[in-house]
Amino acid sequence: MTVPILEVKGISKTFGKVKALDSVDFYLQKGVVHGLLGENGAGKSSLMNVLSGIYIPEQGTIKIQNKKIERLNPELASSLGIGMVHQEFRLIENFTIKDNLTLSKANIFLENFKEAYLKYSEIFSLNSSYNTLVKDLSVGEKQKVEIMKLIFKNSAIMLLDEPTAVLTPQETSQLKISLETLSKEDEKTIVLITHKLKEIKDFTETIFVMKNGKMVAENLQTDKVSDKHLIELMMGEIKTMSFKKDNLKGETKLEVQNISLINNDEVNVLKDISFNIKSGEILGVAGVSGNGQVELSNVICGIQQEFNGKVLINSNDVSGKGVKSRKKLNLSYIPENRLGVGLAPGVSVLDNSAIREYFKASYGPHLSKGKMLNYLNDLIKQFSIKAPDVKAEISTLSGGNMQKLLMGRELISNPEVIVAAQPTRGLDVSAVESIHKLIINQRDEGSAVLLISEDLDELFKLSDRIIVLYEGRIIKEVDIESANIESLGLAMAGINE
Amino acid sequence: MNNYILSKKLFRNELSTFYSFLIGFIVALFVGSLILLIQDKNPIDVFSLMLKLSVGSINSLSNSLNKAIPLILAGLGISIINSVRLWNIGAEGQIFMGALALNFFYINSSIQNSTLYIFLLLTASFIGGSICILIPALTKVLFGVNEIITTLLTNYIVFGLTIYLINGVWKDPASLNFPAAAYVNESVYLPIIVGKLSSGFLICIIFTLLAFYIKDKSVFGYEMRIAGGSELTAIYAGISAKQKAFLAMLIGGGFAGLAGGIELLSQTHRVSTGISQGFGYTAIIVAAITGMRPLGIFLVGCLFGALTIGGSVIQTIGVSSYIAEIIQATTLFGALVAQFFFSYEIKKKVENG
Repeated sequence: MTVPILEVKGISKTFGKVKALDSVDFYLQKGVVHGLLGENGAGKSSLMNVLSGIYIPEQGTIKIQNKKIERLNPELASSLGIGMVHQEFRLIENFTIKDNLTLSKANIFLENFKEAYLKYSEIFSLNSSYNTLVKDLSVGEKQKVEIMKLIFKNSAIMLLDEPTAVLTPQETSQLKISLETLSKEDEKTIVLITHKLKEIKDFTETIFVMKNGKMVAENLQTDKVSDKHLIELMMGEIKTMSFKKDNLKGETKLEVQNISLINNDEVNVLKDISFNIKSGEILGVAGVSGNGQVELSNVICGIQQEFNGKVLINSNDVSGKGVKSRKKLNLSYIPENRLGVGLAPGVSVLDNSAIREYFKASYGPHLSKGKMLNYLNDLIKQFSIKAPDVKAEISTLSGGNMQKLLMGRELISNPEVIVAAQPTRGLDVSAVESIHKLIINQRDEGSAVLLISEDLDELFKLSDRIIVLYEGRIIKEVDIESANIESLGLAMAGINE
Repeated sequence: MNNYILSKKLFRNELSTFYSFLIGFIVALFVGSLILLIQDKNPIDVFSLMLKLSVGSINSLSNSLNKAIPLILAGLGISIINSVRLWNIGAEGQIFMGALALNFFYINSSIQNSTLYIFLLLTASFIGGSICILIPALTKVLFGVNEIITTLLTNYIVFGLTIYLINGVWKDPASLNFPAAAYVNESVYLPIIVGKLSSGFLICIIFTLLAFYIKDKSVFGYEMRIAGGSELTAIYAGISAKQKAFLAMLIGGGFAGLAGGIELLSQTHRVSTGISQGFGYTAIIVAAITGMRPLGIFLVGCLFGALTIGGSVIQTIGVSSYIAEIIQATTLFGALVAQFFFSYEIKKKVENG
């Protein structure tokens, strides 16, 4: 084996109490497309930030072209030929393609820009003049300009963070060809960071897998490794700890029929989704985020009112009606985005606590502060929320207490239907436990629960049935007794056996 | 390396806005004194004269409070609009528009009962203020056009319209060459309560309480707060954030329009460029100093009214009336700086991912 163009050993990085990277080894061969696979939060982005000099690791060594680098910083990394395309584009929208490409002082094609642009725009099949303003390009075209930027500043090592997240299937296969050409003809070293199994198999020659800040597999030959093995590596062991599932199920409370939705960018984000949930039942929705979860909950909860298909709550058709129609039928929604959707930032704890039922504290145009306070005090007692000052801004609460306030507010009226999206994301263990108990209690009270989560542990622990969303479609549906982690993991990655 | 960052304090003293105002006012008096000293004037003499001539007698006190009326009403309008976190820089134009609408209604109507007539005229001025902010409100909710720019620009349009009317169709032949509309009939003057104090001040008190009620005690105020906090939360809660923003702007504009109506019926008695002397701009200062609290706006409005009167009388001893404006502006500046230090603290940086 030849000497790697880049080699890092024993890299560790902690943030507060969280070990983002735990003595990670990673190495790249010149002219090869590498894959870096892992779930959200596995440490992929942290590692890339170390390589591009943004984070300084506490431990470990970095060697580039067999030369040890003492203290990497972004400028040095860039001059050593390491370039990164971030998930959020870093283009200047009001500049032309040419200006964006030649912005870097490391730019190597200043003299013969035209020929270089001709060559690479053909490789990327970018059919725009270099005088086009970036803001007039489509998302896929911007992505191409972003990658070309790395070529123009002579990056030998190209780190691409989830480059396909914003692309259509056609653009994705186009990108595959472009990257192959770059690695073969220009000997570019490419790292593709993703959690999509299918793409990593399609695009790469060799695969690294991360899990919980550790590198769990190095340099696997893509054509020799099975999907199943990769899923096991990526998901790790799942503790199949679970609440009792002896709950009694009643009549159907929520029924969703043939929902399809095309968003503003004319992407088909939901495709023919149907399911129903009975009283006392929890339906888990698995899937990597961005596969239609937010759109689905917006449709069910009345925020998105234009769609094809039907939503029925207790046999009442609420399609085309707004949020208030759902409130009347006692549906509760715990949105994924806690602060910003579920709670209004900059507004007091008291005001935030009343968002669901403030009209119950009103007499005509008058709003009774006393009633609101009583309601909040009930919430605080019943859900043991720690709120030091109810008139202070909501951000004075900790993440766990914010979520308890939001859950309490949505659950105290004993709702018929609950839609809970990522209810425990970012919370510590004890908060997670109490949120889980709340959901189970509510199930036993007879609510129908739609639980949307990326966390398979959580879904196994709470759900009675699980559906998997992939690219806006239900790709798999199983009862919890017959579910197995591997096939769910594969389905989340788009593979249904 | 920069190891310190500014971070927002989680808990603020409830009285911090009041303390900020006091600090700002003291700083402003200090700055004013310095300027007077440079001019070889004794600041204590000047300030005591200002005090005496602005609040020393019933007449001077009522002059001060009359001046406070438009500041308070326009300030309240600004504070209502700020409930949805929008800024109204157009109070000056709305004041003029209120007066124009009143005069338009006056010219085209004739009602015997003067109490009813005054009521209707003032209603017309309120509506005039709302009409003035209608275009900024529509462009805001329909296209997201920045309301700071549009409300500011309407000031120039309305001022131009006023000039056009008082030099043209509304020009009073009896005013010789002075551009002004004809005086309104004495029967629709706002009655005097005591001294020179106009009954507009009573309207002002009522509207202060009304604004306080709307902002703090009503369902509408609550919905405005949520919509102002986060449009997505409002949509989630089934509140139409755009509708609240639109209504808040129309009501806020109406408050400023009413100020113009009262000014016409109690002070100028006719449409002229003297309807407002920058009241709409000073009202922004008043509203900002008080952190948009209606009761605070009432008190600071009264103080600024007195300052304006005090400033105009000290011209008799050779001091420029601008000293009052310097004090007003420096108060805002000092108060904002003080509010900043009440709201933020300097902390050691903690790196996080």
